[in-house]
Amino acid sequence: MNALAHPIIESTELTKDFGRTRALNDLNLKVSDGEIHGFLGPNGAGKSTTLRVLLGLIRPSSGTVRVFGRDPWVEPVRARRDIAYVPGDVSLWPNLTGGEVIDLLTGLRGGADEALRRRLITDFEFDPRKKSRTYSKGNRQKAALIAAFARTARLYLLDEPSSGLDPIMDAVFRAEIQRVHQEGATILLSSHILSEVEQLCDRVTIIRSGTAVETGTLADLRHLRRTRFRVTGLTEPDRLASLPGIHELSIDGTSAEFDADAGDVPALLAGLSALGFDGFSASPPSLESLFLGHYGQATPEMQ
Amino acid sequence: MSGLLQLVRFQAHRDKLVLPLWVGGIAVLGFATATAVATQFGDTPSRTAIITVATSSPAFLFVRGVPDGTSTGAVVFFQGYAFTAVLAALMSTFLTVRHTRTDEELGRAELLGSTPHWRSAPLIATLVLAAAANLVLAGTVGAGFIAAGLPVLGSLMAGAAVGSVGLFFGAVGAVVAQAMPSGRSANGAAAALVGVSYLMRGVGDAVGTPGADLQHVTSSWISLLSPIGWGQRSRPFTAADPLPLLVLLAAAVLLASASVLVRERRDLDAALLSRRYGKERAGLGGGSLFGLTWRLQRSTIVGWCGGAGVLGALAGAFGPIVRDAMSGSSALQDLISRLVPGVHVDAVDLFITALLGIVGVLAAASGIQAVLRMRAEETEGRAEFLLSTPQSVERWLGANVLVAAGSAVLVTIAGGTAAAVGLGLSGTAPQRAGYLLPAALAHAPAAFVFLAVTALAFSIAPRLSVPLGWGILAVSLVLDQFGDFFGVPGWLVSLSPFRHSSAMPVEDFNVAGAIALTAVATALALSSVARIRRRDLTA
Repeated sequence: MNALAHPIIESTELTKDFGRTRALNDLNLKVSDGEIHGFLGPNGAGKSTTLRVLLGLIRPSSGTVRVFGRDPWVEPVRARRDIAYVPGDVSLWPNLTGGEVIDLLTGLRGGADEALRRRLITDFEFDPRKKSRTYSKGNRQKAALIAAFARTARLYLLDEPSSGLDPIMDAVFRAEIQRVHQEGATILLSSHILSEVEQLCDRVTIIRSGTAVETGTLADLRHLRRTRFRVTGLTEPDRLASLPGIHELSIDGTSAEFDADAGDVPALLAGLSALGFDGFSASPPSLESLFLGHYGQATPEMQ
Repeated sequence: MSGLLQLVRFQAHRDKLVLPLWVGGIAVLGFATATAVATQFGDTPSRTAIITVATSSPAFLFVRGVPDGTSTGAVVFFQGYAFTAVLAALMSTFLTVRHTRTDEELGRAELLGSTPHWRSAPLIATLVLAAAANLVLAGTVGAGFIAAGLPVLGSLMAGAAVGSVGLFFGAVGAVVAQAMPSGRSANGAAAALVGVSYLMRGVGDAVGTPGADLQHVTSSWISLLSPIGWGQRSRPFTAADPLPLLVLLAAAVLLASASVLVRERRDLDAALLSRRYGKERAGLGGGSLFGLTWRLQRSTIVGWCGGAGVLGALAGAFGPIVRDAMSGSSALQDLISRLVPGVHVDAVDLFITALLGIVGVLAAASGIQAVLRMRAEETEGRAEFLLSTPQSVERWLGANVLVAAGSAVLVTIAGGTAAAVGLGLSGTAPQRAGYLLPAALAHAPAAFVFLAVTALAFSIAPRLSVPLGWGILAVSLVLDQFGDFFGVPGWLVSLSPFRHSSAMPVEDFNVAGAIALTAVATALALSSVARIRRRDLTA
């Protein structure tokens, strides 16, 4: 089966305006069948708006969107039939208990798998008898996650799903993602928590100001990452700035910290040894630096 | 102190649109009443005539209050005070609840609570704002009366009466907000107390003692149970007496202090009436849109039905008492036979008709509130979550409109049944009791129109749906009650759906009117369903 020929989600030049604000600007997003796709971006980048468009809750201003090959605005009910959704800011019905909320949401999707429901409530250490108004943010999120996972779906749209979970619950959440992934489901995971995306996702799309700035596998994006260098005992720290490929330089006495692009490292190391120093450390490339690199462009250069 | 002022300014800023609308609306209603009386009843004989008619009609006394002389000011106060006071009370309860329990429920209070303020500082700021709003209201209403040419002292006193009632209920709202777990339930409970206050005044006035000159009615002690009744006792244009107003203000201070004491002693988000645990599994229908809608609305609907039931029971039980009170006055009986020669309209029927009319208003309000629940679901993000499931937005809207219509019907049934039971138990005219349920149900079609208009507003202009829904009810009510009196053109008055309801049992059932109203409501509801898909869900 050629998964790429039939993406589960495909948006082409998707634009959404709210009055004068442009929330999405020619967004291209493609999620293939069976992949865990990270949707990475800072707050306000348009991640939640994209998910609302995918659910057919808001209408695109221009561009096309297909979910399971259908336009979600034209056929919202058919598009949502195989979707499980966890909103970023989970708001529950204050008078309903957590158990009632789970039954409601799974019931509206056709009914929960009872065994699954029981196991999830145990695994997430969730008390379903409490009224929703008494739940903390993390517990509201658990209710939404249990409701999402208690009935099998083909597509899971998760909007910053683990932002209120502690590390133990986060592990339970990741195990559920792996389970549905192995069962063949497609997952779109929106996040600004980079480690989450790094651990879970096959491919990543980075969104900034409503536009997808990068998309690809983590390996594809590796070229964009910078390495963080820390050098001490510099004999001539002032000359550091003249070296090639140095970014975000900060000098403190004879010590300095800076970032360098992967391609510039050989030349940089040669220059450094010519300058003379007594201590040196380099942090491994992380998605953080990649993300900050893109985020940094969104704000005007300061200093 | 400067921190407190800052909080007051902050809260006032949030209300910069809402409060001027309330104050302005109430003042305009007062001014319009005053000018209408001055133009339509310019001379003493015509004022004497209307006051005499009012004195002879317990229904009139129940709805408006007690007549107190025939000066222009006295007639204005009689015509306008009770409604104005109810509006001032609602303005104030909504104000205090909005800044206290609603803020707590939505988490805004937590943010403020983290700032270096005294724990009850936001509440005290709200009470200060309520006091200021009612002071301005008193001044504006008074100024409106003066502008309409009424005596200065009486005008200011009348304004003070309205403002005092408002202030009292502002404090009531603050106390209720301490006890109830959500802004919605606090608003409901506080509004119900305003309703009870209006009812107690109504009963106290309806069974009051008419004076021998048929130009005064002395309220019975029952109206002393009502703050609105206390305000009326200030008699601004006849024998101005500030004492009842001072009692109201003292009571307001006591209640406000109580709310502050409770706030100082309770946790944020803690409420007296809040259950922490419930059922682990959803009941029957708990996995359907209709089931959810019913579940979310049922306690509110029960509340409205309770209100309508009390009103209906009063209508049935007090009708005969009212007649007995009247038959004690031979002057009154003479008057009635002179006023309506030949035609015999029973005083009991008139009284019951008036009260069932109010049941109709409650039915409309319950329907509007049920429809507007969708707006809260939408703004608080739950609609988005709900509609991420394979359920259409049309079904969601449809379920809500149906529950709203059901609510309106249930409210009329509660009112009609209670009236029938009340009349039956009172032992007079039991054969008429069976007629009262249909009489109440006759008000359902008008209620349908209101809830359908609100649904259409929600579909087309969601941000305006709340002011539109309640605003249309308020305007229709004013047109129906005061339209002819204000000299509003007939076609405009006939826009009020209430005009097309049958005022049974005094009038016969107007089949064409009921069918027309239902048809209009159906058309509006269907177009709201057709339009909802065209707009974004707003968060």
